[in-house]
Amino acid sequence: MTWYNYSLYVYCVSGSWIIGMILVYLLRKKRIKWLADIFLVAGVVIISVFTVGLWMELERPPFRTLAETRLWYGIFISVIGLVIYYRWRLFWMLAYTLLMAILFLFINYFNPDTFDKTLMPALQSPWFIPHVVVYIIGYAFLAVSSLIGLIGIYKMRKNKNTDDTIALADNIVYLGFAFLTFGLLFGALWAKEAWGHYWTWDPKETWAFLTWMVYLIYIHFRVSKKKNVKSSLWILSLAFIILLICWFGVNYLPSAQTSVHVY
Amino acid sequence: MDGMNKNKKRKTWQSPWGYLESFIISSSILIIGFIIEFFSGDNLLKLPAWPVNLILIVIVISYIIIVQKFFKTSIVKWFSSPPAAISAISILTFLILLMGFIPQNNEASDGFVKMIGLTHVTTSWPYLLCSFFLLLILGFTIVRRLFPLTIKNFAFFLNHAGLFIVIVTASLGSADLWRLNMQTVEGRAIFTSYDHNGNSYNLPFAIKLLDFKIKEYPPNIGLYSNKDNKLKIDKKTQLMEVVEGSSKILDNWNIIIEKYLNGSKKDSLGYDTSNAIGAAPAAYVKAVNQISSKEICGWVSCGSFNSLMKPLVLTSDLELVMTIPVAREYSSDIRVFESMKKYKDYTIKVNEPLKVHGWTIYQTGYNEKMGKWSNMSIIELVNDPWLPAVYVGIFMLLTGSLYLVWMGRSNQAKKTKNNDLV
Ligand code: HEM
Repeated sequence: MTWYNYSLYVYCVSGSWIIGMILVYLLRKKRIKWLADIFLVAGVVIISVFTVGLWMELERPPFRTLAETRLWYGIFISVIGLVIYYRWRLFWMLAYTLLMAILFLFINYFNPDTFDKTLMPALQSPWFIPHVVVYIIGYAFLAVSSLIGLIGIYKMRKNKNTDDTIALADNIVYLGFAFLTFGLLFGALWAKEAWGHYWTWDPKETWAFLTWMVYLIYIHFRVSKKKNVKSSLWILSLAFIILLICWFGVNYLPSAQTSVHVY
Repeated sequence: MDGMNKNKKRKTWQSPWGYLESFIISSSILIIGFIIEFFSGDNLLKLPAWPVNLILIVIVISYIIIVQKFFKTSIVKWFSSPPAAISAISILTFLILLMGFIPQNNEASDGFVKMIGLTHVTTSWPYLLCSFFLLLILGFTIVRRLFPLTIKNFAFFLNHAGLFIVIVTASLGSADLWRLNMQTVEGRAIFTSYDHNGNSYNLPFAIKLLDFKIKEYPPNIGLYSNKDNKLKIDKKTQLMEVVEGSSKILDNWNIIIEKYLNGSKKDSLGYDTSNAIGAAPAAYVKAVNQISSKEICGWVSCGSFNSLMKPLVLTSDLELVMTIPVAREYSSDIRVFESMKKYKDYTIKVNEPLKVHGWTIYQTGYNEKMGKWSNMSIIELVNDPWLPAVYVGIFMLLTGSLYLVWMGRSNQAKKTKNNDLV
């Protein structure tokens, strides 16, 4: 199996995921709901078959080039998305992860000449993918939690009941926070492997840690004062600002002129 | 909730302490840290090394357990309360936020900001005191919530004790951490290495570089503007990878690579293949202007440490230049000697360090001026005896987080299990 067969696989995988998602929606109240599951899982199986085939063909783990890397992004993101979906029934998360996975697979499809492009030595590591994938998922959860926070603030203004809103926000923050923790720790383990130290307070690391701390405050604030919904919602919205700085803004800070993470 | 009513009647500093008192205490600790830092001048803070650090850990943990179990005063209770935790986390977050904005360990910095430690936060008194305070609160919380042994408490334990272990072992362990640099040279066994301050140390083993290898990406060709003195790289004009037979349009010029030599030497006629040391890549290029149909042919080379770079002039202010190839992978074959007769050979590369005799050896660099002809390889040797303990903490945190993913906000999980959340 080689990249020459790739287009066929991309179409099959994307097709079955999209059909799966449509069926999830159409059949949500029907007895044959399981039909959707078959398509969702089939997509993962097909892309895994391709990857294993490629692995055997290359006689080495396909972990070296950017294209091979994207293949793994596709697999991991979709698997995590499915697990989260079956555990929590979060349809938007299913859609988000599968569309991300399809995007990665199609980038490979349209850019066949980048199969061997520049990947600096420090990035050529088995940690690269898990590290990035869990951050992508964590950020998605936390972004949504802030959205829910804003909805909550709006509801409060209108004097509507916010019990469900805050409960949902709590749950999403727990999931997002857990993924953020994974990202942080994977990053630390990787840094140890590549540079000899797990934490160097590089500006990006500092801001990632700050993001983590702010959500830690939110979690504990909720544990202690369940009634204080209004302040909680505000913390949630503010936390997102820190997250955005970490995500996009770090490169522009005066403290970040020597970062290894600037990209 | 009657707790709320009680809170309203309660005066400041009357127990149980709430947010106001907690934040007053945490901020005082931060301010005391600033003051100590201010008066301690230029003396850098140093954490104690083995075995004092271990003794300290044992004392602190025993203290927490004994006090928490046998002295149940309201102050002790406060130490494991959410308001205390939140104030401690918030104050530390505030300090790190400052650190996020102020450039750290910058030689040029000076003045008040430096005096109170904000230019070197992680080695300053305020940071030390705030994190120690956080650790105390974390410790008291862990001991209080240890029993009964339910799954929920166990997950709580994994998260909190995991974090406790990571912070304690990583910070106190840093005093026992050795990081040494060594410049290995092909053909010579070396056992002297240097720390960041330039002090030299002799290792219990010697290292000889057998071979330094480098794999490179192909070089790129781009347009260089003499007017702006820089490479033109924007959405329209990008770099072009040098591959024989390929062509690409760069800013109105159609560039065709007619011939590519991996290593070359210059002679009277042009460039010819060469494998000599310092033989730079060169390409024979045809450039056709799409507007004026003007055609220019010639050699382009990026040069090396001992051959000149060669641009191809297109117009008075536009040249075609080749960039120096970037390293894709570099590695060193090394021989590690325990004695003259006892040795073993290994290969190290970035991301694939080697573990021998309690040291981890990392490939960090090479002579970049010489590039692929470098006969010198820079390696870093790290000895981190506390690492296994740090990994135990990290592993506990990972497991605890898995639980969070699975249970979510657990008390609501049951209620909503089979309903769609969104
Ligand atoms: C990895 C980091 C942490 C995670 C994931 C975490 C998570 C949690 C969770 C989920 C709870 C609620 C427990 C429950 O009600 O069942 C909790 C409670 C608590 N946490 Fe943390 N926490 C972390 C770090 C910290 C830190 C750094 C502190 C203190 C400085 C702290 C202090 C507390 C306190 C005081 C409680 C209340 C316990 C109680 O009322 O029984 N936690 N934490």
